[in-house]
Amino acid sequence: MITRFITDVTTRFNPFSPQARSARLFLSFLPPNARSSGMNITTQLLPRHSADPPTLYVKFKDGKEMNIDCAKTNIKDIVGEVDRHSRMLQKNADLADG
Amino acid sequence: MPPGSLRCALPRSLVSPAINGSRIARTSALLLLPSSTPAPSTTAAPSRQYATAAPGGRLSLPPDYIPPTKPPTARPADTRKSQLLRSYTSLLRSTPLILIFQHNNLTAVEFAAVRRELRLALAAVSPEGSDSAEIASRAELQVIRTRIFDVALKIVEFYDPSKVQPSEATTITGKRVKVVYNHDLSKAAYKAVKAVSSGEKPLPEDSVYAQISPLMVGPLAIFTLPTVSPAHLAAALSVLAPNPPAFPPPSKKKSPGYYDPIAQSGLQKLLLVGGRLEGKVFDQQGIEWVGKIEGGIDSLRAQLVYLLQSAGMGLTSTLEGAGKSLWLTLESRRSVLEEDQKGPQEGGENKESS
Repeated sequence: MITRFITDVTTRFNPFSPQARSARLFLSFLPPNARSSGMNITTQLLPRHSADPPTLYVKFKDGKEMNIDCAKTNIKDIVGEVDRHSRMLQKNADLADG
Repeated sequence: MPPGSLRCALPRSLVSPAINGSRIARTSALLLLPSSTPAPSTTAAPSRQYATAAPGGRLSLPPDYIPPTKPPTARPADTRKSQLLRSYTSLLRSTPLILIFQHNNLTAVEFAAVRRELRLALAAVSPEGSDSAEIASRAELQVIRTRIFDVALKIVEFYDPSKVQPSEATTITGKRVKVVYNHDLSKAAYKAVKAVSSGEKPLPEDSVYAQISPLMVGPLAIFTLPTVSPAHLAAALSVLAPNPPAFPPPSKKKSPGYYDPIAQSGLQKLLLVGGRLEGKVFDQQGIEWVGKIEGGIDSLRAQLVYLLQSAGMGLTSTLEGAGKSLWLTLESRRSVLEEDQKGPQEGGENKESS
C-alpha cells in the first residue's frame, strides 16, 4: 500500500464485531514510521455491544477525503481504492520532480 | 605418452602426503584410513570387525511399535507451529488473565522500550520479596501467531481430553496394550476442532470462543498475568493503555523513560482490543472495571464477609425483635393485670377494715 500521501487516518470500530476486520487490518498496514513522518492516526474503540458501523476516514496530501464503509468493503478493496488515488499523486509528484 | 601410463600416474599424484600410509608414524591413525590405501605390510594392524545390524538380529522392534515418547499426532509434531500450538493451549489453560493487544508494526526497539516500561511499572506496585513481586516477574507481553492462537482457543474450549477412547498399541515386547492418546496434537483433538470450524453445528452463542473469535484478526500480542491481581492489572493498563483519570500514565518525574520518543511511538501503536479473565471475555471497559477493584481479591472477600455478617446480624435482631416485642407486650399486660388484681383486693381490705 502507498502511504506516502496519506495525512490523516481516523478509524472508529468495535473490535468485537466481525465487521471491524478490515478497519483493523488497514491500521496494521501503516508503516512503523507513519506517525513520525507526519501522519495523524486516531483510533476510537467502541464498547463491546455497540452496533455502530465501523468507519474509516482517510485524508490525502492534496486534500482529498475518503470515507470508507468498512462493514461492506474488505481490506483488498480498501487498499485498492486508497492506492488508486495515491498512484495518481505519485505520478504527479514524479512529473514535478523529473 | 600413452593414455594408460597417464591413468596410472594420476592417482599417485592425487594421494596427498597426509593420506599416504608410509608417512604416518602412528599405527592407530592408520586404522582409520580406508583399506584401499596402500599401507606397508609391516605396519598393518590386524583387521577389526565392528558390530553391524545383522538381519534377524535380536534387536528387532515390532513393526507397529509406537514409542511412548512419540505418540501419534495429527500434524507433524516436530514443527515450530505444532509446538507453538501446544504452548498456547497450556498458556490458555493455566493463565487466568490475558489482555489482547493489536500491535501495528512495532519495531524491535519499540517493543523493548514498551517491555522495559511495563516491567518498571509492575515493579513499582510490588514490593521486593513478596508474592506480588513473584507475580510481576511472571507477567509477560508476547507476540502471538494469531491463527495458531485461534486454534488453541478452540482446542481449549471444545476438546475434552478425558472423553477420548483408548486405542491399542504394541509395546516393545510385542504385547498389545490400551493407550489413550489425548494430547493436544492428537487426532482426537484435531477432529474436535475440525467439527467446530467446519460449521456442521452452529457455534454456541454463549461459548467463549464465539465471543472472542472476532478479536483474532491481524497482528496480536498478549499480556499475561499468572493470577488476577487488580493492582498489577492497573499498573499494566496505565502503561499500555492509559485512560485518565482512573489509569493515568506514569508521571514524567517518576519514569522519564516512558516519555522517550521510542517508547511513546511504540505505545501509540498498541491497541487494547479485549481480554479474557477467568474464562470470560471482557472489552476495554470491563478490563478497566476489574483494574479498579482496590485491594484485590482479598478486599472483595472482606467486603463479602462484612456483607454476610451484617446481614446475619440484621436477621438475628429482626427475629429477636418479634419475640422481644411479644415478651414486652405480655409483660406489660401482666403488670397491668397484676395491678388490676392488686387494686380491688387492696380496696376490699380497706372496706373490711372500715
